[in-house]
Amino acid sequence: MQQALQKLASLSAPPPPIIEARGRTRLPPPRCFSTAADRRRRFANRELSLSSWMATSFERSNGAKKGAEAARDQHMESDGGPDPRLAKIASSIRVIPDFPKPGIMFQDITTLLLDPEAFKDTIDLFVERYREKNISVVAGVEARGFIFGPPIALAIGAKFVPMRKPNKLPGEVISEEYSLEYGTDTMEMHVGAVQPGDRALVVDDLIATGGTLCAAIKLLERVGANVVECACMIELPELKGRDRLGNKPLFVLVSSDI
Amino acid sequence: MFAAENGLRGDPRLQAISRAIRVVPDFPKPGIMFQDITTLLLDHKAFKDTVDIFVDRYRDMDISVVAGVEARGFMFGPAIALAIGAKFVPLRKPRKLPGEVISESYVLEYGTDCLEMHVGAVEPGERAIVIDDLVATGGTLSAAIKLLERVGAEVVECACVIGLPEVKDRRRIRGKPLYILVEPRLLDECR
Repeated sequence: MQQALQKLASLSAPPPPIIEARGRTRLPPPRCFSTAADRRRRFANRELSLSSWMATSFERSNGAKKGAEAARDQHMESDGGPDPRLAKIASSIRVIPDFPKPGIMFQDITTLLLDPEAFKDTIDLFVERYREKNISVVAGVEARGFIFGPPIALAIGAKFVPMRKPNKLPGEVISEEYSLEYGTDTMEMHVGAVQPGDRALVVDDLIATGGTLCAAIKLLERVGANVVECACMIELPELKGRDRLGNKPLFVLVSSDI
Repeated sequence: MFAAENGLRGDPRLQAISRAIRVVPDFPKPGIMFQDITTLLLDHKAFKDTVDIFVDRYRDMDISVVAGVEARGFMFGPAIALAIGAKFVPLRKPRKLPGEVISESYVLEYGTDCLEMHVGAVEPGERAIVIDDLVATGGTLSAAIKLLERVGAEVVECACVIGLPEVKDRRRIRGKPLYILVEPRLLDECR
């Protein structure tokens, strides 16, 4: 397994044609990324300080709650410290530089899917959090939200509702437009999939600027659902997606500064 | 090839799965009766039964790879992979996978399309299944089989929830067996 992961990490991709990144605005790189050498150094040092990340993350999302209290509430920390499963999950995510365009460090979760234990732990962490919360809808954002959402929905007894790019869903849909770095995109949901009063989660692999998640929240709220939380594998805090969600809570497993 | 012929004849789960699928006429174009599995995903029991039937079939077959075809294969494949302890490998449209890929093109009614897989995701000798929501002509599944075989994997079977009449008499695709849960619904049944 380690060999396979190392092999994957050592492959470099030729720069692909530029495509629009879904909901991901590329902001000017922070000062510490002034050179490629800096980026490589940050990449090499990307082992997270999990407990320090968790303390700041919970403070931001929980307002008045103290870090430790919020951490217990989030089921991520027992008396000993961060959940031991998180380190393996974080290390199984591969970073691909300059995809889909130069300057973007793409967080590739496909390597996590190749590690059955890490993938199972990922799902378990979400299921443990949501199973007692009366969630009736898990909405997954195309396409990587389709990989994580259904196993969570099946485990907690919820419906799975795909949120899709235009013209993919065959029945009557409602649409929500959202901004990209250049231009806009549209997200659709089937009419009738979600009922007023449904308690919903939105699942995606990653939150960057939060544009995609906001569109998903709006679609669900337009049909009268109560969006309880957004759940992602990875957060890119420098892009401030969490702030864009406003009062909607966000739960993530891994935070990445690159 | 159909689950009913493979030991599940009369299984009430199959009827419930079939009934949970919605037919949308004239999508994506006139004349096509689109088999919409999103309504199956709204029925927790039927969705769980769908996954359970595939898991029961594959759990003792030493499968180490579940390859799911974008995007509806992603809705079924990962749950199966998790339950049987296999890797999940997404097979994607061009330029979606960020790392080095291998590509296989296949024929559509008009033109061609292309399926990609990450280099290094699958090792030689691995036993793989391919999962998608529906098989029509088998073109997509053929491309998936080719990708896996090019890296030295053994494709044990292709698994789909729905099989259209075009494949009914072909029990195999590129020599690989097909396992299908239900036939397509007719519009009149839904009304």
